[in-house]
Amino acid sequence: MPEPITIRVKRFDPETDAESYWQDYTFEPPSEDSTLLDCINHIKWFIDGTLTYRMSCRSAICGSCAMRVNGGGQLVCNSQYRDHLDADNTITVEPAGNMPVVKDLVTDATGFWEKIRAVDPYIRSDREREAEGEHLMSPEDFSNIDDASTCIMCGACYSECASYEIDKNFLGPAALAKAQRVVHDTRDEEQGPRLARLSEYGGMWDCAHCFACVQACPKPVNPLYRIVDLRNEAHRRNFHDNNGSRHARGFVDIIEESGWLDEAKLPLKSVGSLKEFVTDLLPMGIRMGVKNKFRPNPMHLLPGRHHPPVPKMNEITKIIDKTKAADPADNE
Amino acid sequence: MIEHDVVIVGAGLAGQSAALAAIAGGAKDVAILSKVHPVRSHSGAAQGGIAASLGNEAEDSVEMHDYDTVKGGDFLSDQDASLILTESAPEMIYALEHMGVVFSRTEDGKIAQRPFGGHSSPRACFAADRTGHAILHGLFEQVVKHDVKIYSEWYMLSIIVHDHGCHGIVVMNIDSGEIEVIKTKAVMFGTGGYGRIFQTTTNAFASTGDGAIISYRAGVPLEDTEFMQFHPTGLYRHGILASEGARGEGAYLINGEGERFMERYAAGMMELAPRDIVSRAEQTEIDEGRGGEEDGDAVYLDLRHLGRERIMERLPQIWQLSRDFQGIDMIEEPIPIQPTAHYSMGGIPTNVDGEVVYDEENTVLAGYYSAGECACVSTHGANRLGTNSLLEACVYGDRAGRSIAKYLSGGYEERPATPQVFSDAVAQATERADRVRAMDGPERLGDIRNDLKVAMTNKCGVYRDEGPLTELTDELREFRGRYARAHISDRTRRFNTEFLEAVELDHMIELAEVMVAGALARKESRGGHSRRDFPTRDDENFLKHTLANRAEDGTPDLTYKPVKIIRHEPVERTY
Amino acid sequence: MANETDVQAGEPGKRYAFYPGCVSKGACKELKTSTELVAKHLGIQLDELREAACCGAGVTDDVNPEMTDALNARTLALAEQKGLTLLTQCSTCQGVLNKLNKEVQEDERKRDRLNEVLADTGYQYNGTIEVKHLLWVLVDDAEYGLTRLREQVKQPLDGLRVAAFYGCYLVRPSDLLGFDHPHRPTSLDELVTALGGEPVEYGGKTKCCGFPIQMMNPKNSFGMAGTHLADARDKGADTMVTPCPLCHLNLDARQPDAEGALQELGKGSGRLSMPVLHVPQLVALALGYDARQLGMATHIVSTDAVEGKVAAAGA
Repeated sequence: MPEPITIRVKRFDPETDAESYWQDYTFEPPSEDSTLLDCINHIKWFIDGTLTYRMSCRSAICGSCAMRVNGGGQLVCNSQYRDHLDADNTITVEPAGNMPVVKDLVTDATGFWEKIRAVDPYIRSDREREAEGEHLMSPEDFSNIDDASTCIMCGACYSECASYEIDKNFLGPAALAKAQRVVHDTRDEEQGPRLARLSEYGGMWDCAHCFACVQACPKPVNPLYRIVDLRNEAHRRNFHDNNGSRHARGFVDIIEESGWLDEAKLPLKSVGSLKEFVTDLLPMGIRMGVKNKFRPNPMHLLPGRHHPPVPKMNEITKIIDKTKAADPADNE
Repeated sequence: MIEHDVVIVGAGLAGQSAALAAIAGGAKDVAILSKVHPVRSHSGAAQGGIAASLGNEAEDSVEMHDYDTVKGGDFLSDQDASLILTESAPEMIYALEHMGVVFSRTEDGKIAQRPFGGHSSPRACFAADRTGHAILHGLFEQVVKHDVKIYSEWYMLSIIVHDHGCHGIVVMNIDSGEIEVIKTKAVMFGTGGYGRIFQTTTNAFASTGDGAIISYRAGVPLEDTEFMQFHPTGLYRHGILASEGARGEGAYLINGEGERFMERYAAGMMELAPRDIVSRAEQTEIDEGRGGEEDGDAVYLDLRHLGRERIMERLPQIWQLSRDFQGIDMIEEPIPIQPTAHYSMGGIPTNVDGEVVYDEENTVLAGYYSAGECACVSTHGANRLGTNSLLEACVYGDRAGRSIAKYLSGGYEERPATPQVFSDAVAQATERADRVRAMDGPERLGDIRNDLKVAMTNKCGVYRDEGPLTELTDELREFRGRYARAHISDRTRRFNTEFLEAVELDHMIELAEVMVAGALARKESRGGHSRRDFPTRDDENFLKHTLANRAEDGTPDLTYKPVKIIRHEPVERTY
Repeated sequence: MANETDVQAGEPGKRYAFYPGCVSKGACKELKTSTELVAKHLGIQLDELREAACCGAGVTDDVNPEMTDALNARTLALAEQKGLTLLTQCSTCQGVLNKLNKEVQEDERKRDRLNEVLADTGYQYNGTIEVKHLLWVLVDDAEYGLTRLREQVKQPLDGLRVAAFYGCYLVRPSDLLGFDHPHRPTSLDELVTALGGEPVEYGGKTKCCGFPIQMMNPKNSFGMAGTHLADARDKGADTMVTPCPLCHLNLDARQPDAEGALQELGKGSGRLSMPVLHVPQLVALALGYDARQLGMATHIVSTDAVEGKVAAAGA
């Protein structure tokens, strides 16, 4: 028999509780290789029938059982309880974050589904359906949408997303991954308008690149990497008029100039207007100048290199030139 | 009271296909209702493929697909249904592909196809090893696009059948716990299977056969429920599906002694024999002491010779599942597997237009439709071939949807249903819900459910026998008694999942009764029903479909109806 | 207390290929200074990769992943030529280099493709080295380790309540890094304890500081920083400590903006006044060095309170 463990559950019943509270369940798991879901089921079926949560397939494909385990969003069905025990033989389970709690571990995912709908998550094509047969799609084209299309919409990524937490206008990881799946689907014919919308406030450039979604994702979707795919595609298609694109392109330019980052120059390359320069950069620049954190260089307002290149810059230039030659997108 | 022209119950492949087809056919007011969000439906767990004779990888034809299906079904398939299924397959795949479903591709860009058990040509179209998921999400994209009304996490409690017609359903909004009537012109069930009545099953916890039993209790018989498919490769002890696609890609089955035992059972097709045959072979190996693992209850799926690249490209999900659940890297080691309850061939009887039929003469119950695993049309006969289930759910879901549209625009007549009919239905459902929420006996629901599953697995599993089946009949009566003395601790209304599990268990016990009655009466072995005491097929006495009607006292009352044999006379089934 | 101008050199120990990262050569020079000081004191030998290029900070691959990977492969090759583990005191550099390192180690095709690009300049990367953050080296007894570090503490940080800010790149994705728990990391807190300080539990320790979207969505960016700073303040922290200079820029240099953002988001008002230290600065304080040697005067938020508390502890 396995050793007893404690599962500490954050509980809330809307009919009886004013606020949530913690409850500990200490018991022997059904077996050594029980999953965390097996243990939670054991509580419900044999200890406390009132414990409420969603689950169905118990094989990481239906996406029902995303919740927070030891502080992070994940499915509870696809790992063994032993992987989650802390030093006190305890596992902490809470409802998924960034969504209202309905009851115990059940959350209201309405906001999540609104985001999915907001990206028009289906192929758009004005093309007549070919009379017969399938559209041809190369294995390479398939591989571009392979990872994103494994999404089970469990919402674990929204539970942890830093940008969604601070701003519910952000489309969020799964919806942007879904957008990538559609944008890179060769059957879709609205890539342009999609990328334009996705480049706006709340879209791909609002992702803070924090890897929380990659950590939470139970599938190979890894939404952050799909967001980077979108940014690549937006760049290839010249959706350049936004700070995100200016920032990334400015960064590349600076590396091309000197091999390392000129931090004083990059913000100047990133802002889109004088107003932003005045409101967002100037106060910080003055602050940092006063503290001698950096020396403002008026030359930065002019094109060209303003700080010394790293030693062996010629090697760096050679490598950059070679990657350019290998990338057809840069030769347009 | 909520009103819709059409309510589709269940949002898997059959339900969503039906909704989209009804809308395409002109239906204006279609709603989908499901106890889980549509993309949580169990169709998404299907892995290996969907069959169609596209011929993208090798010579193929509708005729070959049709014959494979009928032979695979041990000649119990209705051959009008199997022909429609296989004829419609290529068009259905192309329709799915055009709507945006993601498929793996051949080098020249066509839909890739792999071999599958019992199919004489590689005709399983697939998206790696998540084909069901790809189609489920593809259909959901269309449901979003057409802005179909969705009642997500609403639970059906009963169907309102009155005067030979269906008038709606009684439902509970799980979130609020409130019970309401949805009045309709047409109802369609795509509510899935009931593998959860077995101990080891690939099925989701949601697969409790609610739709089938609700239909049965409304006076519609259940057809051929004794035919239960045991999948040969459920992960040992977990039951999680490891796709037949693995064998389609060339994986071996080996016993505890490392021997490729299929040689002895199906020397021609080996591992790619139909599932009933492979599962029996495995069970025989286990029963005769050649199993593996500590208790000898497992055999092994060996993928090592496929190599890392092939496995990661074609079978990444099952690689991950076996790593996560068993801690085994299938690139390095064979994985322990066992026969696992997987698919219900039987269900709610329908005709080829998805209309529910309720007697030996196939009389239609107006306004009531069904398709997918909960239904029995019957294309699969006594044993379904792998990859035919997704196909059947799409093709017959689509046909049901079209029939509904036609019915609304032509055949529908306002049938008399007084307000009393609806208020009675709500009163009955409310009384039942209150009774369940008040259950206060000594028995734990969890114990009853576990005991039920163990009993069904031991006595109505891969092999069956008169003695154990008779014992089981008595035990099931006891389970009913225990259920009446059960306890429920969550008495609240909002999101009461213990309440739902209690209702589901009630359904599961009754389904087990129907299945065992059919199994006991069918004194032959055919497809997914294998009797040790009657080890051969008996076409003279049992080439017929079982129909179980619910008698006054609640027990199943069996009658039979003939099989539609059109092109393929039954012959001995060898592989 | 150690003489202000002297840096004591410890017994020469393990040698690392040192990749300081651009920010510690620019806006956070105090980080490089204090890292070199601590390393020298502990005998950690740093062999700086002066000719290495910028890692791209997870930004340049938004528009040019090929360039980013190739330049980082060159950096890894530079360390490999020396046969040394690559050490950086920047979480972001660590994360970017580690991700590529793992990819190249596992994906032979990617390795070949990158080596093809490097071939003209005479480099080749074979995937043999490790990439480590300074924090890991300080904590892991197989490297320098807390056991030895504890012995070196001259000025225990008694009573100093420290909010460890791990941020993103140091803990996620954990299957790639494998050092700390992704949601409940302990290494930085253990370091604080080893130095005699008191770790503070607060909510935002593994969340994003907001830096990467500073230019795209300042309100969200500073709102993130402000939330974590306010959280640490409300839990009674005297200072925050971070292993990443980019976090430092958002948490320290942008702290006045963070105060504004909190107000705008309706998440409370008032001064944050939270000093933010770099990991080696905190270590150096405990080793007995003076704030002035550690460049703390260049911080936007005054560190006087921290210095005062440390001095009081020593008195």
